Amino acid sequence: MASAANANLTAVRETMDVLLEISRLLNTGLDMESLSICVRLCEQGINPEALSSVIKELRKASESLKTSENCTG
Amino acid sequence: MDDFQNIGSITELVSALCDRCLSGVSWKRRALGGISREGFHKTLKKRAYGALLSKVFQDGTTKGCTPRPNPTASNTPPRNKVLMICFDLRVAGCREEAERLEDLLDSLPGGASSGLKEVDAVLELLVHLAGTTPPPPTTF
Repeated sequence: MASAANANLTAVRETMDVLLEISRLLNTGLDMESLSICVRLCEQGINPEALSSVIKELRKASESLKTSENCTG
Repeated sequence: MDDFQNIGSITELVSALCDRCLSGVSWKRRALGGISREGFHKTLKKRAYGALLSKVFQDGTTKGCTPRPNPTASNTPPRNKVLMICFDLRVAGCREEAERLEDLLDSLPGGASSGLKEVDAVLELLVHLAGTTPPPPTTF
């Protein structure tokens, strides 16, 4: 039982490493932590296109915050 | 990865995604200007759900429209979309990146052997986000 769980965890880690490398080559801007959250959201049934819109929207919002920091700083 | 294994619900995951966007922002000075971390986190969550829900409603209204032939066309399997990107990279003269991407795609396990339930959905997400950030600077 425990060895099956370990094998699954190893498989998940290997798959995540490949996905992160693909993500880097595609210049998606996702780090491992963000990718992990996205994987979990996809597994919850969130549409990937909708999720990409969410990420773009969040980036826009946080960029505007960082820009305002630079302007006022 | 392990940190997020215990997070179960969509609301918690969206909240964690918002937290990631706020990393690296200095809040000491912002607190003086009336912008708190909690307030901005709330704004981010509103925008995230707005984007998520707008897509849900769009899905219902675009039925019957003529499909546009683009790499993110919904009926193309995500692995094929990545291969189309590989082709584009080759055309652009980025042969090494194209080959690396093809190798990675070959090594990506599918189905239960991946340990994940939705590998294709994640690939689809990566295709949608492709090129949204500038490539890393080359080092000599």
